[in-house]
Amino acid sequence: MSCCGCCSAFRPRYKRLVDNIFPANPEDGLVKSNMDKLMWYAMTSPDKLDRIGDYLAHRLYRDINRRKTGYVIISMDALDQLLVSCHANNLNLFVESFLQMVQKLLESTEPKLQLRATQSFEKFANIREDTPSYHRRYDFLVSKFSSMCYASEDEEVMRKQLRTAGIKGLQGVVRKTDWDNLGENIWLPTHMEKIVPSLLYNMQGNKAYVHGTTQISDTQDNHQNEGEKEPHELAEMCLRELVSRATYGKIHNVIKPLLIHLDYEGLWVNNSFAVQVFKIVMYSIQAQYSITVIELLMAHLNEKSSEPAQIRTGIADVLSKVIPIAAGECIGPSVIEIINSLLEHIRSSVVGGVSGKESSAEKMYQETLIHALGEYANHLPDYQKIDSMVFILNKVPGSDRVDDGGSQRPEAEVKLQHLLLKSLLKVGTKYTTVQYSTTFAQSFLVRLMRLSVSSDAEVRLTVQQILHTLIDRHQNIEKLAKPTLEVSRLGLTMSKPVRQDVNFWKKSGNEIMLSLQENCEFSNNRLVNIEAIYATLMLLMAEIRSDDVMVDILRVLFHVQGVAQNGTVSGPQGVQLQALVASVMVVISHLVPTLKDHVAAVIKKRSDEAPHLLPEIMASYESGLPCRDLPEDLLFDHSKVLDLLANTNLDEKRLNTSMASMMRRHSTTQHTSSATDINSISVEVDSACSSPGLPRRTLEEEITFESLKKVLTESPEQRRKAEEERRKQITEAFMTESFEALVAKIQAKFSVQ
Amino acid sequence: MEDYKFLFKVVLIGNAGVGKTCLVRRFTQGLFPPGQGATIGVDFMIKTVEIDGEKIKLQIWDTAGQERFRSITQSYYRSAHALILVYDISSQPTFDCLPDWLREIEQYASCKVLRVLVGNKTDREDRELPTHVGEEFAHRHNMYFIETSAKEADNVEKLFIEIAKELTQLVRSGHFDKDSKVGDLSPQDVSNVTLPPTREPRSEFACCSRWISSSTT
Ligand SMILES: Nc1nc2c(ncn2[C@@H]2O[C@H](COP(=O)(O)OP(=O)(O)OP(=O)(O)O)[C@@H](O)[C@H]2O)c(=O)[nH]1
Ligand SMILES: [Mg+2]
Repeated sequence: MSCCGCCSAFRPRYKRLVDNIFPANPEDGLVKSNMDKLMWYAMTSPDKLDRIGDYLAHRLYRDINRRKTGYVIISMDALDQLLVSCHANNLNLFVESFLQMVQKLLESTEPKLQLRATQSFEKFANIREDTPSYHRRYDFLVSKFSSMCYASEDEEVMRKQLRTAGIKGLQGVVRKTDWDNLGENIWLPTHMEKIVPSLLYNMQGNKAYVHGTTQISDTQDNHQNEGEKEPHELAEMCLRELVSRATYGKIHNVIKPLLIHLDYEGLWVNNSFAVQVFKIVMYSIQAQYSITVIELLMAHLNEKSSEPAQIRTGIADVLSKVIPIAAGECIGPSVIEIINSLLEHIRSSVVGGVSGKESSAEKMYQETLIHALGEYANHLPDYQKIDSMVFILNKVPGSDRVDDGGSQRPEAEVKLQHLLLKSLLKVGTKYTTVQYSTTFAQSFLVRLMRLSVSSDAEVRLTVQQILHTLIDRHQNIEKLAKPTLEVSRLGLTMSKPVRQDVNFWKKSGNEIMLSLQENCEFSNNRLVNIEAIYATLMLLMAEIRSDDVMVDILRVLFHVQGVAQNGTVSGPQGVQLQALVASVMVVISHLVPTLKDHVAAVIKKRSDEAPHLLPEIMASYESGLPCRDLPEDLLFDHSKVLDLLANTNLDEKRLNTSMASMMRRHSTTQHTSSATDINSISVEVDSACSSPGLPRRTLEEEITFESLKKVLTESPEQRRKAEEERRKQITEAFMTESFEALVAKIQAKFSVQ
Repeated sequence: MEDYKFLFKVVLIGNAGVGKTCLVRRFTQGLFPPGQGATIGVDFMIKTVEIDGEKIKLQIWDTAGQERFRSITQSYYRSAHALILVYDISSQPTFDCLPDWLREIEQYASCKVLRVLVGNKTDREDRELPTHVGEEFAHRHNMYFIETSAKEADNVEKLFIEIAKELTQLVRSGHFDKDSKVGDLSPQDVSNVTLPPTREPRSEFACCSRWISSSTT
């Protein structure tokens, strides 16, 4: 400031005004009254604003080079004030000078100046300019602010201040550039690859994420003053803001560096931080894009296919934890795509793992994938769960052909079949059956039944388990783990008889019974297989309240008894089958009281002479225990049962028809339900009010000539109403009543007559 | 106003502990820091040099060698005009990693980047890598080569000055596009050299030229 004195009179006014704001002693700070003059001048002559900026910049450079930090700060103070108060069109040029000064300060090695620059930049970032700046670039600012996020000063306070400044600086750049989206594209990889890791770096060390103590939610706590926030909190806020601003094409650029950062920092194996970060992402992202995040995670899993299983498990686990957040947003094809992708990962894990001895880590990975699949399915609407099950089943090797090739199949295919069925089971457990006809679409049932008679005992077991979860609507399955004679202790909840179930059984019952019957005949059945068959039979009885079910089951039981009796199946399996037949017979005799005496007699005889033919069923038996060519009185007598049934509501003739002929009958006879068809009406009424064990007479009394006439003369609407009312009355009693209560009621009715 | 003719971005990479930070501090601050700690993330320094009477501003980004910081350090390759790949002449493993580093460069850096191989710590008695080995490697991979000692201030100045010279020449010959659209924050009326953001087939500009390969003599 040497020669300025003499020539100041000739200096332009704006320069004099600028010079005057600097005190003789920098400690004194900005000369406030002169600053006011400068501001007034700038506001009244906005065209001079850019020159003021230019000149201030000129002074600032000089002061920095001379290390006059006090004056540097004063220049920045003046710039800030001008920036905030001038909303002229000319701001644009002034801003260029301003940003150059910010850069100059950031280039300094002096932390104090870097912090001051960031402060000014933050103020600037919150100003919305009238005209976007097409040529303004933020490359340096992003690079420098990111670098500050890694500040490693020994002195803790300074380190924290620098990191905080870095994060706030990045936040400023993001806000600023996203607002005027005609300028710099902040979403370019070159920027995101710096911003995202810098934010994560400041979060990852914090125990809040590592131990998962903070509850990640979809709202962020804004009450706290930003100034008091810790770097990790600021970084999280900034990440949330970034993610929430990201639109479709940009998400990839945000998530990719995030994934790569987690890779390099080795944050997949102990993945609690990764989980937290992805939850933050999922809760911040615009909902319609959440599925993209899932897809990117999947793609990342693809890329890591040759990494150790632990890493893949970590990624899959993150998937399983965030996938439910996205599931609500899934529609149409993306559902199947995600499922397909998960199945594909399972497949490649199996195919890749089979050659060598499969490690437990690899198994864990597969389990995690199946879990993720289940988590995903759990959050899908029911109709999409069905679609998913159909899709999975179609992927199961062997579901599309009758002969599964026995033990000649390649190991990988067997393994894959097991895993995919487990996946299907997983999805099945998340699905709640309401209508069987909806759950078991014909093509689905056909494929499932095909697999149910696989020569592989494990496959057969899993299929039964799938059937259990899909058939069981009243949480009975846990009560049916072990076959027993103590029926009254079971505490089963019975379904109410409804037409839909009966119709379902008419359509698909044979398919199911045929498979169950065949299931019993495998010589490689283990105890668990027998137990599973027992559970399926019992569930059918409890859920589908139709006389036909009862008779069909009886038929299967007699067939199975025959198989054991003539030695087609022998050894422990033979004994197990005899005991299985007994345990189901006992239940039937409770529901069809006319059979009670006969069944009781056989059971008594067995417990006296051959207790091994009764439950509890064992995995193995002493060799030599008889199970074939048994004396008549140890067996349930087919013709006797036939006679006994003649007096009941049950269609005893059905007991004689072979499975094959039943099949044929059902494929040709279609019950068409037209309003004037008496036959079909009576069938419907019949199925609606019939309940197992009710003697036929009761029904006959109910369907009188009068009632039939009524049916015929009433308008369809009236008739439908009346019918519904009737059905309601009749079935009321059966509504989810306990098994015992029901049995008691039936017995009471029976004894009255 | 800041007056410089060109602004170049120079990025240092290489294994942890090879002396990248020491080289930068020797050049920018003229000192050899005792007990220099490992770099965390990325450090930044600036230095203006004069080439043929014109001021050239060098933005120097000193990256962390530790593997865990790779996600952030890689992001700095993209916009670099020059990449300095450093190894330690007394440590075979740091040399053995060079192919990995080259792969990274191929993947992340602009194809037009000036690449310089530096064998550092020539002051050390326990040299494991003879000069000609580094030289040959550089030759094979179209890199410039120089051996330095940050400790003894050998060849450090030369390293950066040569880079500034070379880049200036490349700019003048039109190697880098002067495209204001991909520019940086820079004073008006000052050329700011920029790189194309996407990769193109490798150009052959840097074919096996060498500066110097002598150790301290
Ligand atoms: N003898 C000798 N030692 C050196 C030289 N340069 C660096 N060192 C030493 O090597 C060690 C590492 O130096 P740094 O500069 O921190 O290495 P760096 O490459 O920056 O390491 P990172 O930041 O972890 O990537 C320090 O102990 C230095 O003192 C040199 O020229 N000669
Ligand atoms: Mg370093």
